[in-house]
Amino acid sequence: MNSNKSRLFVYFLSVGLMMMSLVFPVLADYDPEIDPNSPEPILLSEDGTTRALAVERFSGKRTSLEKIESRAFAPESSVVVFVTNLDLMKDEGADAFRAYIETKEGRQYRFPVLNIQPVPGREWIYAMTILLKDEVGFWEPPTADGDVLLRISWRGMTSNRVRLGYGAIGGNVRDDAGAVPTPVKQFSKPPVKEQVDNYVGYRWSGDRLRLLEQATFGPNPALDARIRRIGLKVWLNEQFNAPYPSANYPYPNFPLVSTTVPNTCNGSENPTGTPPDPPDTYPLCFRDHYTMYPLQNWFFKEAFYGDSQLRHRVAWALNQMWVTSGLDIQQSRYMTEYHKILSNNAFGNFRTLMKEMTLNPAMGEYLDMRRSTRNSPNENYPREILQLFTIGLYMLNQNGTVQTDANNNPIPSYDQTTVNNFTKVFTGWSLCETTGTCPNRSLDGPNYIDPMLLNQANHDVTAKTLLSYPNAVNTNIPANTNGNTELDLALDNIFYHPNVGPFVSRYMIQHLVTSDPTPAYVGRVAAVFNNNGSGVRGDMKAVVKAILLDPEARGNVKTDPNFGKLREPVLLLTNLFRAFNVRSADGTQQSDGVVAQLSNNMLQNPFYPPTVFNFYAPGFVVPGTTLNGPEFGIMTTGTSITRANFVNTMVFSRVNVSVPTIPNGTSLDFSELQALATADPTGNQLMDALNQKMMHNAMPSAMRETIRTAVLAVPSTTPLVRAQQAVYLVATSSQYQVQR
Amino acid sequence: MKQSRRDFLKKSGCALGMVTLATQFEHFGMMSALAQKTIDAENLGGDNYKALVVVFLAGGNDGNNTVIPNHSSTTLSNYATYSAARSAQGLALPQASLLPITVPRMGGLDYGLHPALGTVANGVNNGIHELWAQQKMAIVPNCGTLVRPTTKTQYQTASHPKPYQLYSHSDQVEQAQAGRSGTPSITGWGGKLADKLHLGSNPTGLLPMVTSISGAQLFTTGQNFLPLAINDSNTSLSNVLNPQGFGTSATQVARLNAFNQLRTQDLSSNYVAAASHVTDLAIQANSALATFQEVTVTFPNTSIGRQLKQVARLVKKRLDLNVNRQVFYCQIGGFDTHNGQLNTQATQLSQFSQAARAFYDEMVAQGVQNNVTLFTMSDFGRTFNPAGTGTGVVGSDHAWGNHLFVIGGSVLGGDFYGVNTSNGTPFPTLTFGGIDDADSGTSARGRWIPTTAVDQYAATLANWFGLQAADVPYVFPNLANFPTSNLGFMS
Repeated sequence: MNSNKSRLFVYFLSVGLMMMSLVFPVLADYDPEIDPNSPEPILLSEDGTTRALAVERFSGKRTSLEKIESRAFAPESSVVVFVTNLDLMKDEGADAFRAYIETKEGRQYRFPVLNIQPVPGREWIYAMTILLKDEVGFWEPPTADGDVLLRISWRGMTSNRVRLGYGAIGGNVRDDAGAVPTPVKQFSKPPVKEQVDNYVGYRWSGDRLRLLEQATFGPNPALDARIRRIGLKVWLNEQFNAPYPSANYPYPNFPLVSTTVPNTCNGSENPTGTPPDPPDTYPLCFRDHYTMYPLQNWFFKEAFYGDSQLRHRVAWALNQMWVTSGLDIQQSRYMTEYHKILSNNAFGNFRTLMKEMTLNPAMGEYLDMRRSTRNSPNENYPREILQLFTIGLYMLNQNGTVQTDANNNPIPSYDQTTVNNFTKVFTGWSLCETTGTCPNRSLDGPNYIDPMLLNQANHDVTAKTLLSYPNAVNTNIPANTNGNTELDLALDNIFYHPNVGPFVSRYMIQHLVTSDPTPAYVGRVAAVFNNNGSGVRGDMKAVVKAILLDPEARGNVKTDPNFGKLREPVLLLTNLFRAFNVRSADGTQQSDGVVAQLSNNMLQNPFYPPTVFNFYAPGFVVPGTTLNGPEFGIMTTGTSITRANFVNTMVFSRVNVSVPTIPNGTSLDFSELQALATADPTGNQLMDALNQKMMHNAMPSAMRETIRTAVLAVPSTTPLVRAQQAVYLVATSSQYQVQR
Repeated sequence: MKQSRRDFLKKSGCALGMVTLATQFEHFGMMSALAQKTIDAENLGGDNYKALVVVFLAGGNDGNNTVIPNHSSTTLSNYATYSAARSAQGLALPQASLLPITVPRMGGLDYGLHPALGTVANGVNNGIHELWAQQKMAIVPNCGTLVRPTTKTQYQTASHPKPYQLYSHSDQVEQAQAGRSGTPSITGWGGKLADKLHLGSNPTGLLPMVTSISGAQLFTTGQNFLPLAINDSNTSLSNVLNPQGFGTSATQVARLNAFNQLRTQDLSSNYVAAASHVTDLAIQANSALATFQEVTVTFPNTSIGRQLKQVARLVKKRLDLNVNRQVFYCQIGGFDTHNGQLNTQATQLSQFSQAARAFYDEMVAQGVQNNVTLFTMSDFGRTFNPAGTGTGVVGSDHAWGNHLFVIGGSVLGGDFYGVNTSNGTPFPTLTFGGIDDADSGTSARGRWIPTTAVDQYAATLANWFGLQAADVPYVFPNLANFPTSNLGFMS
């Protein structure tokens, strides 16, 4: 079901049956409601072997696919291979594909795909030009002394692997088990798209569950049933309009209090300034006002039980982009107001988010803008809004790839002079403490609720030169411009920079779907960022929709080895909890959400990222590989074990009540699994249920049997232990730890 | 009966023996057959033992308030120069508070260390200042990322190669940790030392050569070897990688077998394989860490104190671990002092100083002070010109060159080292827009152009550590761009 080989065989069977459809494949509109699955590309081989059908250059009709002779290809030359079983959309081209080789040493390299074009007269076969030059540079270049295995991937699906002579033909690289020749003669007709029953409304749709993994804090039966009934698009619209926070989980509402912790609140055991690690050891007053405890618990309860899952998930992604931290932000109320900006704008316009966040007092405190003045300017916010929040360090193409100069060096998007100029722009803003102007001003503590206010006297009124780019907006701001006006001009200067679309799009894709999306996927989403179809730039609702409905996101199973993302600790936790009806320690009521310590043990303490660079960097490369995998930034030998120990705690035990800090506690409910383990002593029903609940019906068969064997080692008289045994093993497996 | 770690390993043997990863990461300890026989290998963990310990001052420590001219020489920047630049905004440290050090390289002039580097309230020791007079601590001033030597004129020349994204945290950290500026890297110089030295030095080592006590870091990542990353001393060594819930019942044994077996299955996804591999590494190392001896010196109960304490435990266990070379990474954050610097930097520096001194004393107690060298790195220095005004507010912004510390029995301490700037000394001329300032014009803020490259600094340490000349270009590809490859601060 999930193996490429079986798909291939299905394909060959269908070729035999296929006598209809002499129409050339047309560029179809992709509709995830009809069939979310993209076909698996097939690389053609020579007749009778698994050697790639490959030529140095493709000359249209003059290249006879039947008369290609085996040969080797020199490093850094280009090679044309042939691929079929595609279903391209309009404008889907070379950047939708990636080419990987593996050498006899087992090293993987990524080669650029330069071009793809249909073969004249056989438009269902495409000639693909690949440059045999490593894109990544982790390893020294492969030795050009024999065959390598080549695969291409497209929309998260991998092709079969074929042999390619690299420098020479031969050598001892081994074919994949079960690899079969795929000669052109087997593809004398256009392929018929494989019929898959797993459309969105189908009972066993893996895609529906995958959508929930991407768009929520974890699938559960109620959501699954809802989407099955109303379809993806209607469900997304429902989510776009759902009230937030959900009715039963309002934001914590602690008032602003003095920045000097009163004696009645601090307790002698509580030195101020000590990092709250763990926060729940502090006295209540301190805990509620001066740590993120209330917000963390609210965050988890909303994730466990809230109905506005998509907004909460998108806000969580934005929270890790526009970073502030409880390490520096003193009061939970400050952070709550900051979070409201994230959630209010999660489906709003990015430009509004930019302005509201720029003037948010917590951000002003965290990155020092609130103290930056004409005479004492501070570069922190100006630098980070450019580098981390909007455009990034290098000029990007719309598909997110980095633009390079004639010497192949990346082109910086700005320099220190630009930072200096933005620094001047952002001077003169401070907390809103003017009676009459600031509705939330409080006598009890500084106003971290209302947007910051300009004091023109502290504003640098000299002329500024901002970002310069093709068709740039507001690059030059004249002297003596009013600071309020100037802020909007400067934010527009950033907002209309061509990098913003690909930068934000790639970031959001990484958080929701996959760590290393193809440029084509980024480009499709960035196009929507640039124009939502109604001429509006920065429409985040449209962006989120484009991300989740893209063919690279959709489908029952993804087979590309480089598709997916490691579950960050928060999502590992919430997915496990939601799958098993998370509740209080005694099972009689809801969890209190006091679980941040569990997540902190895995190096992700919500609202306490260590720096403005978040818990991990978007560009993090998995050590020892060439893979981009941000969440691996906190996946170490140490946390690999704390992750397993977290599962151990929740599966075999619980978070116990500890009044007053942990009023309800937290536990999981395995009664449904227990019943299945009781009903079926073979363990098969148990494994079926886990496959659906946790693995979107894509659990590999070897994994299933390994776990079932361990289940059968548990006496059948203790069905609960059987269920626990199985859940522990699924949840700690790398297959589950990676969202695919 | 409690299951022993060796049993655990044996039971998971099928998993560990069969692991073949897409990335073909060689397992540490499994390559002994291929290991070159070296003299070191005859005496694992013994007299030939050497360890490098990084303390990364994350966020960019303000070197300008860490090492300060404490003299009134008329030919070099003096205390008055310093005070004039920083006192109006309240960032200058009073001269009387500075901890004096006499610097032969500066003609015997006095410099001053930040007072937090000496005795502090509630300290557990006297701090690192004392180590200067004991000649166990050296300073490398104005060290930073460089692609090749760079004068101000060259800096202003577009075609002269420069580090990419100066003043950006992430990029400057990356280049400092990579041991190479100018080109992005996905390996670090600690990891690359292991690539070249692990097999020869630790042929039967039970741990990877590189251990981070502060998470995944570029510095620790090599091409062929992954680092260990473990918690600080709040978790005992015997628990730091120990999966819970596995005992001797049939249920638990079956669970363990499956837990291990699953990591060998279905590795076609590279993310799945990577997650499995790092877990394998943890399980394997866990078997070597069942017991340990506690250190004897009192460490401060701060993050950096606990990190260095965990390092000291591992050093103490070196004979058990069959290791002759180890590299450790520790980090103390909070140095990105855009505001409130006076308090914050004093706190952070005192935590560093207290922890580093405890670590040095513990190495003395273990008798390995000559075998272990601790050194600092940081993102960058900070602007000489303050950001903001007023005692509780004033801070400084991102800059470039910085002053770094090297501590240990094999350090030729009590002096400055490094390449001279045009003033004839390695300490920069503290003049806004001057010859050592990357900034120009009236709003120049004092971002010192380094005269010594981090590559040179690192290579000096690597040379002491035993990196062979032939392997230097692999670890420090740009080192050949600099006239001096060894700064001379190691004996």
